[in-house]
Amino acid sequence: MIELLNVTKSFSKGKEKFKVLEDISFSVNKGEILCLLGASGCGKSTLLRLMGGFDLPDSGSIAMNGSKVSKPTPDSILVFQEFNQLLPWKTVLQNVIYPLKVNHKYQSDQKRREHAEKYLEMVKLEGFYHSFPHQLSGGMKQKAALARALALQPSILLMDEPFGSLDALTRQSLQTVLLESWDKTGVSIIFVTHDIQEAMEIADNTLQRPRSIGSSEYMKLYEKLYTILCEK
Amino acid sequence: MMCIMKIKKFIWIFILLILWQITALSGKVSPLIFPSLGMILKAMVHAIIQGELLSQTLFSIAIIIEGLFIGAILAFVLAIVSRMSESLNSLVETLITLAHPLPGIALLPIIILWLGTGRASIVFIIVHSVLWPLLLNLITGFRATPKVYSDVGRNIGLNRLVLLKEIHIPASLPYLISGFKIAWARAWRALISAEMVFGAVGGKGGLGWYIFKQRVFMDTAGMFAALVVIMLIGILVEEVLFERVEVLTIRRWGMTEK
Repeated sequence: MIELLNVTKSFSKGKEKFKVLEDISFSVNKGEILCLLGASGCGKSTLLRLMGGFDLPDSGSIAMNGSKVSKPTPDSILVFQEFNQLLPWKTVLQNVIYPLKVNHKYQSDQKRREHAEKYLEMVKLEGFYHSFPHQLSGGMKQKAALARALALQPSILLMDEPFGSLDALTRQSLQTVLLESWDKTGVSIIFVTHDIQEAMEIADNTLQRPRSIGSSEYMKLYEKLYTILCEK
Repeated sequence: MMCIMKIKKFIWIFILLILWQITALSGKVSPLIFPSLGMILKAMVHAIIQGELLSQTLFSIAIIIEGLFIGAILAFVLAIVSRMSESLNSLVETLITLAHPLPGIALLPIIILWLGTGRASIVFIIVHSVLWPLLLNLITGFRATPKVYSDVGRNIGLNRLVLLKEIHIPASLPYLISGFKIAWARAWRALISAEMVFGAVGGKGGLGWYIFKQRVFMDTAGMFAALVVIMLIGILVEEVLFERVEVLTIRRWGMTEK
């Protein structure tokens, strides 16, 4: 599905050069969720932007469905941490419909509208179709952004700490919404986070998902991930 | 809040008018150079009934709209050109650096040499006064567009030109509106001064010429009547037109304070 081979990326700051990513290789299959877990500034977002085609790697290759990623495409949609990723001059519904229109999904406005409403319903945003983004709470904005991304029916969702600025309760309900939508759509997800607990709730790739938070298995996994992170 | 602000403004205007009237009626100043409110009102009514004040105002407004329109189109074209490449951006910035500090009125003698004293010259000077502040604001607005908007635009597959139209222009609307406010004020200033210098073209010279002419006749009240008209138009455009546009766009979309 998406395959990275020996990806390297560095940034220059003045005369100094910082190697942010070195020799990264992995692949994600269709329908999988992969969490990229790590402390702030370790290059998670950089890696995600490379996968989305927003930046190009210095060396190595990134391929999606066999073809090289060279620019952003609607087939892999990036969902950002920023609450202001919705276009403020469009209503929630228009924000979801607009990308469909740009990409010529469906012939009629009516069909596009129905399609958009279906996805807004999926993320539980009924009743806010005609609100402008500034009228929504942070969590609702992220739900709308998720609906906009899913409505395009991409092969892969690239999520850059999308729930990072939310309070614990809202975050939990959005994680549930995300997993439910993933169940319904079967989209592959690469999920960047610095929160071990969040990674464990969402990921199914790294290790088997321990569902019950109190279990000893859960604690063991948490400890293990924590040590790995601290050693870094 | 907004409403209280407005009422306060009206109260201040009222107080200033009373002060004016007291000064005029105190007998310490000659009504020939400091007319009372009644005289100004009479002069205004007279000039309106007679038709000249209105026709001169319409003449001025037509020129200003023409100048604003041409200036706005040029500003958009140059702003888009400046986004096309690094060297073109540098060219546009150089043009702004050179031309922006130049008051329109300083160009008058040259413009008279080049274009004569007709309507075209006045339009030219208005375009000059409008273009640079508008362009500067547009470019600033484009630059201030949050990166996440253009990332989203690129992600859903917009090409550069559509990105500019669909993302950068709406995102820089607050800058665009304030650019138009500055441009509008500058255009008025340039217009009035240019009209005073050029005089009438075929009997019509606009408000600037009207004020100048009343001075020749020592019609002080008439001069003030024209000034009042200019102020009223200014208030109408600022408080009604721009206000309306802001309420319908950037305030509705939460893109500005208040």
